[in-house]
Amino acid sequence: MPLAPVDRETTIDTLTLDPYPIYRRMRSETPVVRVESVRRTLLTKAADTKYVKDTPALFSSDDPETPMKPAFRAHTLMRKDGKEHMAERMAMAKAYSPKVIDAHWAPLYRQIVSDYLDRLPREGMVDLYADLCAPAAARILAHILGVEEASDAEMIRWSQALIDGAGNFGWRPEPFEQSDRANDEMDALFDSLVARHRAEPNPSAFSIMVNADNPIPMSQVYANIKIAIGGGINEPRDAAATIVYGLLTNPDQFDEVKRQDCWSDAFEEGVRWVAPIQASSRLVMEDTEIRGISIPKGDTVMTIQASANRDEELFEDGEAFNVFRAKAPHQAFGSGPHHCAGAHVSRRTVGAILMPMLFERFPNMSLPDPDAVLWRGFGFRGPINLPVRLA
Amino acid sequence: MVKVTYIHADGREVTVEGRIGASVMETARANGIDGIVGECGGAMACATCHCYVDADWQAATGPRNDGEDLMLDCTAAELRDTSRLSCQIRLTPALDGLRVELPAEQH
Repeated sequence: MPLAPVDRETTIDTLTLDPYPIYRRMRSETPVVRVESVRRTLLTKAADTKYVKDTPALFSSDDPETPMKPAFRAHTLMRKDGKEHMAERMAMAKAYSPKVIDAHWAPLYRQIVSDYLDRLPREGMVDLYADLCAPAAARILAHILGVEEASDAEMIRWSQALIDGAGNFGWRPEPFEQSDRANDEMDALFDSLVARHRAEPNPSAFSIMVNADNPIPMSQVYANIKIAIGGGINEPRDAAATIVYGLLTNPDQFDEVKRQDCWSDAFEEGVRWVAPIQASSRLVMEDTEIRGISIPKGDTVMTIQASANRDEELFEDGEAFNVFRAKAPHQAFGSGPHHCAGAHVSRRTVGAILMPMLFERFPNMSLPDPDAVLWRGFGFRGPINLPVRLA
Repeated sequence: MVKVTYIHADGREVTVEGRIGASVMETARANGIDGIVGECGGAMACATCHCYVDADWQAATGPRNDGEDLMLDCTAAELRDTSRLSCQIRLTPALDGLRVELPAEQH
C-alpha cells in the first residue's frame, strides 16, 4: 500500500493566510497528504475527519509530547482518552447544558450583551472584533466558569497565552514564559475562589466541580477551567465576527435572516463556512490505512474540519456563505468523545443572544470595505478586525 | 432489517428500515430523519440524539447505559422517564416495530 504523498510546497504561512484554495486542491488531488512544514498527515475529506474522530482507539488524543503540557502546566482532558477523559469532561458538563443556560445564565448574558452594545461608539468606524466580539465572549465565559473576578483583558490575555503555548511546536522559550505568567495569575485567582464556591454553591463550572459528590482532583479542576479559558474565548469571538461578516457581505441573505428570524441558521452557516477550530491532531496507535493510503503507527494525522465543512460531497458550492443552503452535518464542533463541550453554550450565546441583539440594536450596520477585514489562522481561524459603521 | 417509527414533535410519523446492530440514532441519520442530530457520532458527548421511547417499548429497549443519565441532563428538551440517547439503543430483532418520539429541539 502506498504511503501518503509528500507536499513540500505548502507552508504554515500560506495556510495561515488563506488555507481554503489549498484544501480545495487537496480534497480533489491528495486528500491524504503528508505536509512537511506541518510534520503531519493532513486529512481533508469529511468522511475521513469524522472517521478519525469517531475512532479514538485507533486515533488517540493522548500525545505525550504535546506542548499543551508545559503551556497548561497539566495533562488536560483534551489530550486524554477513555474513562479518564470522560470523568473530567462530565465533571463540568452540567454547567454547559442547555437547561442551566436557559434557567440561570440567559438573563445575565442578555444584560451583559446589552451593556457592551451600550458602550460602542455611535459615530465613525467601530472595530466590532476588538470592541464587542472578544470582550463579550470573555465576560460571558468568566461567569459560566465562576471566575468573574477576572477582567476581560485578563481573560483574553490568558486565553491567548494558553493557545500560543499549546501551539508552540517549535518549543521556543517565549510562548512558555507567557503561559507560565498566565498560569501563575490564574492559579492565584483560582486559589482565592475555592472557598467562595464551596460556601455558595452556584451553577458555574468551578462550583459544580468543587461541590461534586466525588470531585475530580483540584489540579484537574484548575486544568479544566484553563481549558475552557483557552478554548472558550477565541471560538465564540471568531464565530460571531465571521457571521457578522457573512451577513453584511450578503445583504439579501441578511434581509431574509431578519425576516425569518432564523439566527440559528446564520450561526450554523457561519461556523460551517469558517470553522473557528480548523484542525485537530490525533496520534496513530496501530498501522492502518485511510483511503488506500498506508498510515503507520506513531504518525500524527491532522483532521482538517475547515476542509470537511466545505467538502463537495456534502455541500454544494461550499466555498460560499449561504445561510439557506441545503442542510448537511458540519464538523465545526468536531465529532466523537471530544465533541466540543461548549457547543450548546455557543449556540445559545452567539447564535440565540448576541447576533439577534446586535442586529436589533443596529439594524443599519454596514461594512463599508469588506477588503479591509483581515482573516488569519491555521489551527484557529477568523477575522482579526471587523471595521463596521453602526448607523 | 427491522422497522423503526420516528414520531416528530409535530406528530408526523416516519417509518424506516434499520439494520440489526445499528443504533436508533444512526438509523435516523441514514434515513434523513432531521429530528435527531447526533452531532458527536454516538460517543455520548453531545446530547443531540435525545428521544422518548414509546411506553410499550421501554422494557424491550432496556435501562439507560452507564453514563447516559449524566448526558441526558444536558439535553435541550425536557427530560422524561422514557428519555434515552438514541445512539445508545442498538437495534435487535426484538425491537422490530420500535416507536420513538422526538423532542422539538436537540440543541
